[in-house]
Amino acid sequence: MANMIKLKIDDKEVQTQEGMNLIDAAESAGVHIPNLCYLKGMAGIGACRLCLVEVEGAKAPMIACNTKIKEGMVVNTKTEKILETRKFIIDLILSMHPLDCMTCTKAGVCNLQQYAYDFGIKESGFTRKKFGYPTDEANPFIKRDPDYCILCGRCVRVCRHQGTNVLDFMGRGVGAKVVTADDKPLQESACTFCGNCVDACPVNALLEADRWRKGREWEYEKTNSVCLLCGNGCNITVSKKDGRVAKVNSAGIEGSAEKYICAYGRFGFDCIEAETRITSPMKKVGNELQETTWEDAITIVSERLKKAGESAGFISTAGIMNEDAVVLKQLAAALNTKNIDTTASLYSDAASLKNESADIDSADLIVLAGLNPNQWTRVLPALDAAIRRRVNSGAKLIVVNSGDANISSVATVAIKGDEAKILSEIAQGIVSKGAKVPKEMVHALASVDPSDNAIKAAEIFMAANNPVIFSSPALYNAAANLSLIKGTAVAVPIESNAKGVVLMGIEGAGKAYKEMADKGMDVLYAIGELPLNKRPKTDFLVVQNSHMTELAKQADVVLPSAAFLEASGTIVDYMGRLKCLCSAIAPAGQAKTHREIFIAISEALGKAIKEPKDSDINKALKAKVKVELKPFKKKEGLEVNAEEMIESINASVINGSRLLWLKETEKAVAA
Amino acid sequence: MAEQKEKKVEDIKKEADAKKCPVSKALYYIEEFLVGPMCGKCFPCEMGVYEARIRLKKLTEGKGSEADIFAIKKIASAMLESSRCKRGKDTANFILEWMATDVFKEHTEGRCPEKECLGLIEYRIIPDKCTMCGLCVEACKFNAISGEKKKKYQSGVLPFEIRQKRCVKCGDCIKACPEGAIVIVDVKEKTAQTV
Repeated sequence: MANMIKLKIDDKEVQTQEGMNLIDAAESAGVHIPNLCYLKGMAGIGACRLCLVEVEGAKAPMIACNTKIKEGMVVNTKTEKILETRKFIIDLILSMHPLDCMTCTKAGVCNLQQYAYDFGIKESGFTRKKFGYPTDEANPFIKRDPDYCILCGRCVRVCRHQGTNVLDFMGRGVGAKVVTADDKPLQESACTFCGNCVDACPVNALLEADRWRKGREWEYEKTNSVCLLCGNGCNITVSKKDGRVAKVNSAGIEGSAEKYICAYGRFGFDCIEAETRITSPMKKVGNELQETTWEDAITIVSERLKKAGESAGFISTAGIMNEDAVVLKQLAAALNTKNIDTTASLYSDAASLKNESADIDSADLIVLAGLNPNQWTRVLPALDAAIRRRVNSGAKLIVVNSGDANISSVATVAIKGDEAKILSEIAQGIVSKGAKVPKEMVHALASVDPSDNAIKAAEIFMAANNPVIFSSPALYNAAANLSLIKGTAVAVPIESNAKGVVLMGIEGAGKAYKEMADKGMDVLYAIGELPLNKRPKTDFLVVQNSHMTELAKQADVVLPSAAFLEASGTIVDYMGRLKCLCSAIAPAGQAKTHREIFIAISEALGKAIKEPKDSDINKALKAKVKVELKPFKKKEGLEVNAEEMIESINASVINGSRLLWLKETEKAVAA
Repeated sequence: MAEQKEKKVEDIKKEADAKKCPVSKALYYIEEFLVGPMCGKCFPCEMGVYEARIRLKKLTEGKGSEADIFAIKKIASAMLESSRCKRGKDTANFILEWMATDVFKEHTEGRCPEKECLGLIEYRIIPDKCTMCGLCVEACKFNAISGEKKKKYQSGVLPFEIRQKRCVKCGDCIKACPEGAIVIVDVKEKTAQTV
């Protein structure tokens, strides 16, 4: 716990943590210090000069964004002189900013508008300036209008901090412009269209491309939820208007390493209204799928399941929620079948996913074993961004990978080779330096001879206070061994709720996913978007999904489920944290949530299941495993191509939204 | 390409001080500052100086008003208060120093006492002194002087005249005139005389 410091801001006694800057300290006391260029979590650059405050004893006003609080400080944020200066700056900015707040999409959340209001500036007292730079509207994601830009540099810094580094200033002074390299349109730069610059922009210079006259901030109904499209499970805020999703933003804590969502999460919501959406149950009549009623569909499915009994199999994505998983397990139990498994078994064993949780924001060393997060290929992009942000804030990074990991370019030490062997070498390096290590480990490592790089990594590891080790599930045991010395180890799955479904008890007790998908079952029940395009050998196939996939087209019965953003529940994210999802909009057509469907089937079977309670979920979460020394070995048979897998489990999202444009453009640019 | 060494604010100040009129000095300084040492890293300086240049230009063109002087003064004092670095603060100090006289006010009334601000002055040939020797016509690069060179024993020749639309006020004709017949006058004064 950091030391507490007392200071006085505007005659208010404030007590807060050491190391904070004045803007954050004042904010915690309810005093807003105006600023346009400051970004929480990054060092202040003092460009806008709006945050100038007077500190007693100081000769000149100081910038609050870059002044650390000190014991006994007396700060005045609203002296006449300072208000005069702030008004002057806002006045100057307004002289080069369009005064069209009445039609501006950002009205209501525009910082400049707010400050102009606060100072009562109707129109600038200075000469009107316009530079007439063209707007970049060539992509369906982000619109850049330099006319509105106030040159605060937030977008440039956000982009740089998370490692994408696409934007920069061209020129200096008021005629400057935020550009990509060579001033090319975004899609021809290294832009990943994560849109975090849009979240950072205080004005209307950067905006979601489709927002024009689609509602303004005060018209939205907002829901906090979680994105389910990959293993990161990022926090999102969904804004809706008139029952439709208008936009999705990152809901990560302002200033934290995790304030990031990728293009999938931000722009994939179009897929909810895609043509491929299934809005009513369907059954196969002859060779064609025809719409039917829920009653009919449930009766057919339940009869088939009952007949099959223990030879029925359930295969599901690991993107279903905890509640769905609990009910699904009960449904399988009601049928006396053990054959229930998720796609998580393709890349992980159950035990590896039951690990403890970690906090990346306080990590001063990150070890990455066998993982290749990449914002550009959108493999765990949020993890990639979070690590790069931490590294840019001073944390160290050790990358251990048998292939070429993109993130190695920012690593303090990157070692290529057999990951498990390298991890054991690092551990041995630590042992040889005389660190306190469990006795068994010393024995286990006796024959290991560490390389120079491993010794370097060991030194960094020993110097760190709070290392966090991220590993692929296959390498979790080896990684966890390191955490026995110091820090925490976390296995990172590819899907959003892989940890949740395992903790809820779907651990592959019967036949595994792969076996069922390859060899088929008497009756196969496929839930969610699976990396499976061909109908497995089965007498009867039920597909329960939100979109009409290739697999669904070959099914005997198709049950429409709620898409992401349409259902509530909980998941356990890659860091082992329980996260709540709230449905932002009602399911399309007759679609129902997964668990509603399972419950309806169980009722038809005469074995009614109840909706699980929060306490059931919490109880299941306690099943986490204590870390023990295991051999430094990589588990076999868990290799998947993460990029391909993420793309195939999101195929409906990508094909049903403007992300398709992105994929095609990326292909065209690469060609 | 050899990289040019960036000018320091003090050097620009020295160059500016070679001029006589404080308004011209300020404008010259700011134009050099904008293309040179201004880093553009804080709003009051980058935006303020840009605005000040617009206002100073107006003053030198004879389109200035009291409001412009007020604005420049406000910019300079705000820059002094809030600029991030010494360069910005120095700039503010220089401008305030140049503004300390009444010369700025005279510019709003249409007079440049040093006869330096081109928008406020005009070159004129005093007809009585002009001998129609034609040297000024030869000197003028812009073909702005009209008149016929006097030939011996010829009468009815009119004195030379400067076509104001063409004149760029470079001063070459003054240097060329052996009679001292070309003078610089304030635009405002001249109009007052003609009325």
